[in-house]
Amino acid sequence: MQQQVRGFIQMRTNLKVVDNSGAKRVMCIQAMKGRKGARLGDTIIASVKEAQPRGKVKKGDVVYGVVVRAAMQRGRCDGSEIKFDDNAVVLVNKQGEPIGTRVFGPVPHELRRKKHVKILTLAEHIA
Amino acid sequence: MRIEKCWFCSSSIYPGHGIQFVRNDAKIFRFCRSKCHKNFKMKRNPRKVKWTKAYRRVHGKDMTQDSTFELERKRNRPERYDRNVAENTLKAIKKIDKVRVAREARHHAQRMKGNKVSEMKAAVKELEQSIHMVKAPIALKEDPSLTLPKLKVKVSSQHKQRIKWKNETLSLSLSLTLSLSPQPPTSSFLEHQRRVDTGPA
Repeated sequence: MQQQVRGFIQMRTNLKVVDNSGAKRVMCIQAMKGRKGARLGDTIIASVKEAQPRGKVKKGDVVYGVVVRAAMQRGRCDGSEIKFDDNAVVLVNKQGEPIGTRVFGPVPHELRRKKHVKILTLAEHIA
Repeated sequence: MRIEKCWFCSSSIYPGHGIQFVRNDAKIFRFCRSKCHKNFKMKRNPRKVKWTKAYRRVHGKDMTQDSTFELERKRNRPERYDRNVAENTLKAIKKIDKVRVAREARHHAQRMKGNKVSEMKAAVKELEQSIHMVKAPIALKEDPSLTLPKLKVKVSSQHKQRIKWKNETLSLSLSLTLSLSPQPPTSSFLEHQRRVDTGPA
């Protein structure tokens, strides 16, 4: 049985939004850093594809997001690798502060290195 | 640094090895190598896969309850470094390992205890029932011992004469060559000569 090979988050990648900013699904337009695409802990620019009726963002908005869960494994400094079940993003503003007030699901502690401390404080579980 | 246990096979995962998979309900699965990881992706139950520790414990092949396992519990409180404590812990780990291995060996011996007796019984039964595979039943009647029969080949007297004549001619030719050749005969040559001269009676 061939297993699916998970890759980078690039243009036209659909991601799940895991905060309460109002958006449900978001499509990546641009990975801020990285030629091949974004990975766990990187920021992306995305377009909102699906949103809740009363939220801080509407459908069609262009927003920044931080990837908090990626199906592609990322190496840790102790040599092990970590990977998640899906691709998920938390919407942030230009300064890197989250738009929403809650974050759902586990987040990696790679975010600490990238200075996204606010997201870590909101998270319910740190992997 | 912490040595984790593989979720599938229960072996130790040292730093630098393996993959951690975090599910969306925040449950973390650690795997020691891709073999375990692939088995997990195939949705196999470790309690049914023969080579895992989970299977062995469930089916009573390895011991499940022992006081040595209590000492290996996961401790989440970080301890302040104390050199003496560290030294004593290392010594204790070695001793506990030795005790645990001895107990596991005993458990295994206990498990295999009835083997020799049943093996003997099976061998006796096989001897009674399947001896016809080794020796023909008619031959068994003539000679009731359980050894394989010795092969006896009968040689006719004419054949014996022929062998004697062949040896004699050979010795004659050899003596001729010896008288003609300048080299002294080698020991093997002489031995052969001696053997040929005496020949079969």
